This record gives sequence, C-alpha cells and structure tokens, in this order.
Amino acid sequence: MKHRSGRLCLVGAMLWAALAIPAVRHVLESTMTLQMLIQIPLLALAGGWLAQGAPGWLVRRLHAWNHRGISGLLLASLTGMVWMLPLAMDAALDDPQVRLAKFLSVPLLIGAPIALSWPRAGFVVRGVVLVELIATMMRLGWLYLISPIRLCSNYLLDDQQRLGKILLVAGFAILLVLVWKLVWGHVDSGRADREDARIGSD
Amino acid sequence: MAALTMYPDSERLDGGNRVAFNLYIITAVTLFVLMMLLGLTMRLGQATWLSVPPDLFYRILSMHGAGMVGTAALATTAVMWFFLRKYVRLHLWAFLTNYVMFMLGALCIIFAIFVDGYGALWTFLYPLPVHGMGLWSPNAAALFMLGYLLIGVGMLVFYLDAAAGIIRVHGNLGRALGLQWLFRGTIDPDHPKAVVASTMVVIANTLGILAGAVVLVMGLVNIYYPEMALNALVAKNLIYWFGHMYINATIYMGVIAVYELLARYSGKPYPISRPFLWSWAVSTLFVIIVFPHHLMMDYAEPPWLVVMGQVVSWGAGFPVFLVTVYGALTNIYRSNMRWTMPSRLLILSMFGWAAGIVPAILDGTVRINLVMHNTQWVPGHFHFYLLLGVLPMALALMFHVIGQRADAPPNTAADRLGFPVYLIGGLIFVLAFLDAGHLSVARRMATHLPAWTATDEVGSIGAILVVLGMLYFAIRITVGLLKAPARGEPHGGTANTAG
Repeated sequence: MKHRSGRLCLVGAMLWAALAIPAVRHVLESTMTLQMLIQIPLLALAGGWLAQGAPGWLVRRLHAWNHRGISGLLLASLTGMVWMLPLAMDAALDDPQVRLAKFLSVPLLIGAPIALSWPRAGFVVRGVVLVELIATMMRLGWLYLISPIRLCSNYLLDDQQRLGKILLVAGFAILLVLVWKLVWGHVDSGRADREDARIGSD
Repeated sequence: MAALTMYPDSERLDGGNRVAFNLYIITAVTLFVLMMLLGLTMRLGQATWLSVPPDLFYRILSMHGAGMVGTAALATTAVMWFFLRKYVRLHLWAFLTNYVMFMLGALCIIFAIFVDGYGALWTFLYPLPVHGMGLWSPNAAALFMLGYLLIGVGMLVFYLDAAAGIIRVHGNLGRALGLQWLFRGTIDPDHPKAVVASTMVVIANTLGILAGAVVLVMGLVNIYYPEMALNALVAKNLIYWFGHMYINATIYMGVIAVYELLARYSGKPYPISRPFLWSWAVSTLFVIIVFPHHLMMDYAEPPWLVVMGQVVSWGAGFPVFLVTVYGALTNIYRSNMRWTMPSRLLILSMFGWAAGIVPAILDGTVRINLVMHNTQWVPGHFHFYLLLGVLPMALALMFHVIGQRADAPPNTAADRLGFPVYLIGGLIFVLAFLDAGHLSVARRMATHLPAWTATDEVGSIGAILVVLGMLYFAIRITVGLLKAPARGEPHGGTANTAG
C-alpha cells in the first residue's frame, strides 16, 4: 500500500512537471476549453496523486482540522471558484505571477485537499459537493453560451460557446451516471457513514 | 407493514427529537394560520369587502404562494422524518439544518416582500423580477431568490441524509423502491411503504432542487449583469420543473402518514403489494417529466414537450393516487373504524387528494388548458388537494402525536366541531374558485370586475371558516405538543381492536 502511494506521488510530481513544460502548457492554454477542461483538472489530479505521498504526521495534523473532510472540500471549492472566473484564466496567460499561482494553487489547494478529504467525507457532504459541481457546470455552461461578449480576452467567442456546450453535456452526463449508480448500482456511503449504522435519529 | 400498535416505541420522541419535531410543527401551524390570513385578505379584497391596493395585493400573493408551498414542505418533511427514522438511520443535525435553513430563507423572503416590496410572485418568472418598475429594487428580487436557495440547500441536506440512511439499509435506491419485485419474486411484507415513498421523494425532489439551484443562480447573475440575457422559455421550464416537483413532494411525503396510521385506526393490516410498488415506480418517473403541462400556453414550447406534458399528466396523477385511495377504502371497509381526529383527517385527505386531482388532470389537457389555465380553475384545483388533501395528512400526524401525549387519540367536542368547520369552509372556498374558473374569472388579478365578485364573496366566507378551523387546530396542536407526556413516558397504547 505504502509502495503504491509512493508511486502515485511520483507520478503526480511527474505530471505536474510535464504540465509545466512550455510546449505542453502552450498547447493546453491554446483554447479556453483545453485550459478549463484538461489543464486545470490535470493539475488537480497531479495534486491529488502527490497528496498520496504526504507523510503520516502531516496527514494526521491535517485531519485534526478536517472534520469529515468538510474543511478540505470547502478549501478546494473556494479555490476552484477563483479558477472558474474568466478573469483569472485570462490573467494566468498574461501574467507569469498569476500563472505560477495557478500551477501552485490548483494542485495544492484543489487536488490535494480533495484527495485527503473525499475518503473522510460522508454521503451528505459528498452529495452536496457533487450536486453543486453539476449545478455549477450547468450554470457556467449556460453563461458561456449566452454571453454576448468574450469573457476572456485571449479566447474567441466560438471557443467560449463550445466550452459552454461541453460543460452542459458533461453536467448532464455526470448527473445521469450518478442517478444510475444511486438507483441501480453499489453505493459506498462513505467511511464516516459506515461508522454509525444504527437505525434511529440522533 | 405498519405495526398495529397505536404508539410504538420506535416512534417515541425524546430529547432533541422532541424539540426538533415541536419546532417544525409549531412553526408550520403558525405559518399556516398567517398565510391563510393573507389569502383571506386577498379574497376579501377581490370581493370588495376590504380595500387592498394592487401593489400590496401582489406582495401578499407572492408571500402567500411562496409561504404556503414552503410551509407545506416543512410540515410534510416532519411527517417523512417522523416515520422514516423507524426504518433507517437519520441524523438529527440534518433535520435541524433543514429547519434553520428554512427559517433563514423565510426571513429573506419576508424581508424582500414586506420591506423591499418584491411582488413578482413565487414563480419569479424571468424577466419580471428585474422589472420592478419602481415597486421593488433588483436587490429585493435577489433577496427573494437567495431565500429560495437557502431553503433548497436545507432540503437537499435532509434528502441526502435520508438517501444515505436508505442506501445503508437497502443497498441502493432502486431496491428501496422495490424495483426488484416489480415482475417476480415474493415481496417482503415488512418492506416499509414509508421507505418507498421517501425514496421517490428523494429522487424526484433532489432533481427539482438541482434545477432550481441552476435557474436561481442564473437569475441572480442576470439581476446584476443584465447583459447576460436568459432564454425566458428555458428559465420557465426549469422554474416549473423545480416548482412542480417541490409541491408534489409535499403530497408524497404527507401520504406516508396515511400508510403508517390508517391501519392503526381501522385495526386492519394495510399490506404492501405489487400494484403499490408499480404505482410508486411509475410515479417516480412521471413526476419528473410531467412538468410541461404547466407550459401549454407557451406557444414557443417545443411540441414534443407539450405532448409529453399532456400524456404524462393523464397518467401521472393516477397510479399512486388510485392505489392509495383504493387501498385506503378497502382498509376501512367493514373495519369498525375508530373515528377520532387523526382518522377523520386521514380519510378527508384521501377525499381531498382524489377530488382535487380531477380538475388538475382536466387542466393538464391542451384544449381545456387553453380556456381554463388563466382562470381561477387553477387555484381551485391546487387549493383543493393542498387544503383538503395534503394539509389533513400532516394534521393527522400532529393530532396523532398529541394523542400520544394525552394518552388517547384526540376526540373532544371542540375537535368534533372544528373538523366540520374546516371541512365545510374548505369545500365552500375551493368550489368558489372552481366555479369562478367555470365562469372565466381571471386568476392573479388584484381588482375584479363587478360580475366576478359573487364567487369572491362566497370564497371569502369559505376562507373565514377555514381560518377559524385552522386557528383552532393550531392552538390545539401547539398546546398539545407542549404538554408533558402522559404518565411521564409515552406508551405503546392499543390500536383499534374493534375491527
């Protein structure tokens, strides 16, 4: 298990480094769609894998501040809100300091907290996060589709509208998968929930 | 199947559970009385018996619509929680979170309406909220929508907690609905009807809340960035998807009281059956896709959606309703029913649901909708099944619980008087609406033509009786809930053994 975590951490570091290579970065930032749906999620994934190699003492200290994963998921959501703003995506292309902030904050403040918090979260916390994720994808998709102006000065309107369509489709797809899984699949209601399985109300 | 003990130990309300339940119920009955007074004010204004300026009328209408639907949801959520906790683990914090969020949301809505002057009704139909024309500010519209969002988040937390509990016991929501027994297999006779109904509500209303969360935030964006113009028809579809499921969920949460309590008062078991499971499975799908029947007058609505709305609304109303009413009638047939307040209210709720659904299905038919939809036929049908269907379901549980405190199901002389006052008043009130619809009296109008006021006057008399009845119920229930349990502890009691 420890061996696997170390390997994942290494893969995460390599992915992080690969995404920072100018040629890769240039390709992934060439369209709004690629930046938002590929580069930023991959940076978060890199952070998530990196977190697997976090030393035990650090994880234990973080857990003390992360009741049922709520603090970590809240931190990831707030950071995610920043990188959903077209203004922030634009600035990450134009300003090297903002770019550095993106490359540090997305893995460390989105990916890693999610990786450390998700297993600790119960069904309700996971459910709220997923419902809000779907709602946010639909809202952003709708906004990008109807905006009469370019929201990012670096990207064209058709790119913005394509991203809007993809976000709407992805939001519906995630919703369908979740509904299917909840109605017919095997559902793990989370470690936090498994710990208290007694019937009743308290 | 429901145990035939009148007050089983598993329904005991101790400590925090009792406080939470009392908070829900006392808040709900208080709000019902207040919202009914607002409704009465509007009917008196239309009857010209009271002067209600049009701007105030639309504020009152906004408060009455949003407030009544929210309060019905609050009361029936308490019904679902009360019974579902016997079968799955529910967390009190989730139940209380819903209450706190509801109260915060209600405060936002009350402030938006009575301080900031919002009057664009519960539907907040785009783009009306941003065109207050000096009567209300964009901030008022935003605060109203924020109130809805807070209420929706609270409800979502409660539903997710219920879903977690249901899944932990049954594996997934499909098994909780009993889908595995639709075609074959021996149905587990102990599979709780409360779990089936709760599962349906969790699935449907979570989707509704999601739709509401999307359109509400988009509405907020539009308020502050008007250049982000929404497609009005898409926004309306989402609003009615959310609104339809939210109000329908109150019926399906409330009917749990019928499934759980009726057998105790009739003394006859009320077993689960394959038709019952089929009806809930079909209704789970139908209630999600029936919403276009609210948009039949929107000529730009895609025809396939209108056709779906009509066909499904013919089918959607029937399965659960037929199975429940048939089941209830066969259950009380030759049962020597123990006629007390809870049992009277349970049977009234079956009548109100059954009778109220007929004008609803009629209005869900395109040709009739074209003539009737903008008339008082529509408030006639939804007041019918809410006032005489859903509310009696919740009241039945409330009276049942205060009976637990008083050692026996309530049946005082005052109860026996209050019930017909409420029933007769309710019938006069809703029939006046339906007759007004038949006479083509337009709905949502502050000022009525002289030819319309006859039905308004009759409706006002009915409304006065309803308010009197509900005021009595509210006082009786509040006092009953605050009273200490008889002999220190609730007891098992006896179900009706006469039958």
